[in-house]
Amino acid sequence: MGEIFPVWMDCDTGTDDAVAFLALHALECTDIIGISTVSGNSTLDDSFRNTRGLKRLVGADYPIYRGAAAPLMMREKVHAVDVHGKNGLGNVELAQPESPEASEAPAWDALYEAAVKLEGNLRLITTAPLTNIATAFMKYPKLPSLLHTILIMGGATQEGNCTPCAEFNIYADPEAAQIVFKAGSQSGVPIVMCPLDVTEKVMLTAEDMDELAACGNEAGRVVHDVLQKPLEFHKKLHDPGVQMHDSCPVLYLAYPELFDTEEAGVVVETRGGITLGKTVTDLYSDKQFDFKNALVCLDVDEKEFIKRLKELIKSIK
Amino acid sequence: MTEKKSKLPLILDGDPGHDDAIAWLLAEASRRTDGICDIRAVTTVGGNVSLDKTTYNALRVCTLLGIEAPIAAGAPHPLTADLMVAPSVHGESGLDGPALPEPDRDLSDLTAVELMAKVIKDSEDKVTIVSTGPMTNTATLLLAHPELKSNIERISLMGGGLGFGNWTPAAEFNILVDPEAADIVFRSGVPLIMAGLDVTERALLEPDDFERIRDIKNPVSDIVWQWLEFFYKFHKKLGYEGAPMHDPCAVMALIHPEIFTFEDYYVQVETGGEYCRGATVADRRRVMDKAPNAKCIMNLNRDAFADYVFEGVRAYG
Repeated sequence: MGEIFPVWMDCDTGTDDAVAFLALHALECTDIIGISTVSGNSTLDDSFRNTRGLKRLVGADYPIYRGAAAPLMMREKVHAVDVHGKNGLGNVELAQPESPEASEAPAWDALYEAAVKLEGNLRLITTAPLTNIATAFMKYPKLPSLLHTILIMGGATQEGNCTPCAEFNIYADPEAAQIVFKAGSQSGVPIVMCPLDVTEKVMLTAEDMDELAACGNEAGRVVHDVLQKPLEFHKKLHDPGVQMHDSCPVLYLAYPELFDTEEAGVVVETRGGITLGKTVTDLYSDKQFDFKNALVCLDVDEKEFIKRLKELIKSIK
Repeated sequence: MTEKKSKLPLILDGDPGHDDAIAWLLAEASRRTDGICDIRAVTTVGGNVSLDKTTYNALRVCTLLGIEAPIAAGAPHPLTADLMVAPSVHGESGLDGPALPEPDRDLSDLTAVELMAKVIKDSEDKVTIVSTGPMTNTATLLLAHPELKSNIERISLMGGGLGFGNWTPAAEFNILVDPEAADIVFRSGVPLIMAGLDVTERALLEPDDFERIRDIKNPVSDIVWQWLEFFYKFHKKLGYEGAPMHDPCAVMALIHPEIFTFEDYYVQVETGGEYCRGATVADRRRVMDKAPNAKCIMNLNRDAFADYVFEGVRAYG
């Protein structure tokens, strides 16, 4: 048995967040310290409730925290209910755990405490707008250097999915994203960025979903059910399946060898008109930034990725 | 594009520049051989270097190449921004390298915009503008003479990039120098061909091509060879395997469209932004419900391109 990674996940569950959560839960190399939730795909309340439902589903005991209900700068909230359904989880309502969470501490305080306790060992996975993390970094300037790694699902090196330039998680709170990427260049905390370049390549097809539904565990059934709504959405775009964006940082943590990466300078445009929320990288330009603050995933072995993702879901008892 | 090649009345608007000069050579060579291009005016703009220098260079280049059209000086600075120049690419004179003949002709008494307007008004056929510098003159023409828009066949421009920039990570030089002018051009409704970095960085002339051109031994071949060597020296340091023929793409796309691949997109220019000012944003996924405004060149047959540049030089004997 190899090293065990203590992990914190920040999410806006979220249909593909749900799959990422379940994959993370199933990984033997991880020890989940806490999960924080934020407004994103749907409201904070939805994110929190949906994540608690997953916790009950797998019988987990790690704490779930509530974080920010709106982006940092009071921008208008952007949700993605057309993809994720009006409750954020493909309109699937999961049963809630019987007891409430023991702590009502906000996400940023809980994350900081965990990072302090774990003395530089905590891996932070984010699959949502970065409002909670930015708030934590502002309140606790030492926090970035207390983290082992930040693995981010967000951004794109070229085109966006929310606007021509911007990916959803970054577009939903560009200032928060810029604070987090800046922390990378200021504190030196390693950032692994999983942009659309890779996250759009890894898809679960309708057949994959049926296979999971039939695998005999509850998790597989739930994955099938919550992905039906996004499947409908992606069918209209003639995509062959549903993109497993949020599982990318999770699988990177366990299987980095599946990804091709390159170091880059990354910043977030917060003042642009049409470019608001663009993650600007210096990967393809003659002009380079004078820092490298992220390891950017540019390609992925998608077959092996999907194979392992399905194995993880099937392995849940 | 498979349209019939009819005669093309041209206005060459640029900031010469080694690659502008080679673009103009292609146009004049076409006039001499297949008779497609018919250069009606040459206009200059500040860009690679100051307006005084680009205008002097235009006079010298037209003298060398035997371009007999009237030459007019245009805008000394961008519409609203301060002029930004690129002496590191083209040298202090804007056209460093071989000694060029002193101008044997005078500048027109008209301004660039007056000359452009006159040529368009006087032409029986619609006129094509080849823009290989910041688009200040062209934008001013469109603003000052809206009545002439319908007499412009199209604007074939070197500028921008759909995926990345060169002078900043997000922006290409010509657009970055005068983003407001570019914005006016892209929103004008005049048909556009956009030769952006996506194609121009692949339009490489390699050292073998330089030698082939040098060995032609006609009145221009030695100078073109030295221009290529000079231009390559700068780009080699950046990792290029040849001299990128940015501006010649804007002319070649008119004479030999069959060697390029085009995609139609709605393209906008970012005029704000902290990191993205001057970025050209294409709605590649058609999320904006806007009709395409530009034929964007995406790729080319490099060997055919190199052969046609060779043929262009050979037109001089």
